[in-house]
Amino acid sequence: MSKNKSPHTDSLSPLSGRGLGEASGEAVGLRVAFKTLGCRLNQYETDALVTDFDKAGYQLVSFDESPDVVVVNTCTVTNQSDQKSRTVISQAARKNKDAVVVVTGCMANNFKEKLESQDNITFVVENNRKSSVLALVDAHFSGEILHPNQLPQDVFRYEPVQKSLHTRSAVKIQDGCDNFCTFCIIPMVRGRAVSRPVADVLESVRKTIENGFKEIVITGVNIGRYEDGETRFEDLLVKILDVPGDFRVRISSLEPDGFGDRFVELFSHPKLMPHLHLCLQSGSEKTLLRMRRMYDVGQFRKTIHQFRSFYPEFNFTTDIIVGFPGETEEEFHQTIEAVKEFNFSHVHTFKYSVRKGTRAERLENHVPEKIKTARSLQIRELSEENKLRYYQSLLGKIQNVLVEKATKTKASGYGDLYVPVEFQGKDIQKNTVHTIKLTGFSGEGERLVLVGELVGLCV
Amino acid sequence: MMSLIKHEIKIDESFYKVEEIRQLTRETFSLILPKARFAFKAGQHISLGIYGDYQSREYSIYSGIKDDHLEVLVKEVNNGYFTPKLRKLKVGDLVEIHGPFGNFGMEPKATETGKFVFIASGTGIAPFRSIARTYPEIDYALIHGVRYTTEAYDRNEYPGDRYILCSSRDTKGTYHGRLTGYLKNCTFAAETQFYLCGNSDMIFDALEILKEMGFERDQIHCEVYF
Repeated sequence: MSKNKSPHTDSLSPLSGRGLGEASGEAVGLRVAFKTLGCRLNQYETDALVTDFDKAGYQLVSFDESPDVVVVNTCTVTNQSDQKSRTVISQAARKNKDAVVVVTGCMANNFKEKLESQDNITFVVENNRKSSVLALVDAHFSGEILHPNQLPQDVFRYEPVQKSLHTRSAVKIQDGCDNFCTFCIIPMVRGRAVSRPVADVLESVRKTIENGFKEIVITGVNIGRYEDGETRFEDLLVKILDVPGDFRVRISSLEPDGFGDRFVELFSHPKLMPHLHLCLQSGSEKTLLRMRRMYDVGQFRKTIHQFRSFYPEFNFTTDIIVGFPGETEEEFHQTIEAVKEFNFSHVHTFKYSVRKGTRAERLENHVPEKIKTARSLQIRELSEENKLRYYQSLLGKIQNVLVEKATKTKASGYGDLYVPVEFQGKDIQKNTVHTIKLTGFSGEGERLVLVGELVGLCV
Repeated sequence: MMSLIKHEIKIDESFYKVEEIRQLTRETFSLILPKARFAFKAGQHISLGIYGDYQSREYSIYSGIKDDHLEVLVKEVNNGYFTPKLRKLKVGDLVEIHGPFGNFGMEPKATETGKFVFIASGTGIAPFRSIARTYPEIDYALIHGVRYTTEAYDRNEYPGDRYILCSSRDTKGTYHGRLTGYLKNCTFAAETQFYLCGNSDMIFDALEILKEMGFERDQIHCEVYF
């Protein structure tokens, strides 16, 4: 709900003649800051908004540099996400008392009325209207009274990323989820599964490459369920890989169901990077059933074996939820065994937290917080051991590293396997790909990084 | 400029008036609602809410896609929050429906030649009634586990040679005991597709039995009830 906080209307032209969602290109002098919480999809949507605001003439600044607009793209997947989102909103509003504060993302859907009642928030924009945040802000500065509910509803109305907060750019192909896992709030806040038309996806890929990105990440809420007419996820992936240009493709988080041999074979394509974040969630068959997951451990095992029989070094990472209602010691032990067996190089561990309105909220035998914390710690330690073992197995191997950070003498980025690599090199440029021979490590635990020697420049 | 607006957001929530309430046992009843524009695939479920109440629950659709009404099967849970409220609904009261949801079911073409075994506990029979009514020619066997044979909801709708009633607390069924006991002694064609619906313990046990028999997990489809 708009509260018309300090409209800055003096230097701007009115928006008359433009449709909702179109940028003015006349916001010279106005400064915008963004903060994103949560998943890659949220990061992509923020990046697309950054591009919109940049094209419209806004200057991108941090929260500490007195922005005129702050956009907080929130997450609500766990209690912790809610807490973090609330903290960021409060900090953003407190530091920038005269700024327009826009809160969007999944928390804006889950707690809409509550957020709308807060005086420190100017606009609350639901996910399906997020792509039109610029129009809302522009209208505000032009003195128009525009309610977020008047913005168009379209989850794919994002421009290809040009100005980004990241080196790689995501391309959104899908939104929403119909799986209704018992723990998950996402179907309620992202809505039903919808797929972006093939032609739009391909055009977005082409433009993203034209904009200079050397790596794209295929993203969405449940991308494995992509379906546009006869085109399923694997078909779309083939079309994306066929787009001309020198770029590499990654797949963001994926549900481990419905893979065929063809999907595995696609990874022999030089553009498709050998890493998957496959969400196991639990190594217990009983827990998986209570979670209403669409696979069992045996199917997961089969998938892992299929990939590793073709590509022995293939990198798998995963999500695990510990302390799901009814999770016994034995069931948790099965998860431990699965994490060991599948040798995930990283496990993103979540302590189960109740999401209001989900089926798991009504399940019996909720696990005490203390036990969840202890189990979470065990998985984290195991994850670190796995990571070290996996990185050790890569020593002496070659990785093509896309540089994300560079100083005069040193650079770092991610290799084909989505492993972090640091190397020495003079005046290395960001967003260039270098061939590196892996020679050792630096750091430890979750911050473990591979170190290598520069062998050559790819791009 | 690429064309970006392609998908209209589908509004998938509506209020429906209760048309009829069918009492099936002392605890179990079905709510009959107008079908109106509601389109679904046999086997899918909906989220059902009561007008004015903030909570909702998921129910498999009990009617077939060609039926002129929408029906859900409800068993009242003692001391539960939601089902006692559903029990109090009267004809003309409003309920809110979201959906349909889920992929539990089969492609229509598969029903022409496939062999199917449906395994249900209690009200988990709901999606299978929807499938059987939607595809009357389908080749199936339905193994239904209940405590008492009075819980064999609408059993006269299923051909006698396709419906196997396993009752654990009386002896009037096809088999006296849990459905998993019956299942262990069955033999099935190698190409059979299995569909399981009911509580998670039954599904877990039935899955183990079927896997031990040598069936692939890809042949076994599950819908867990809570």
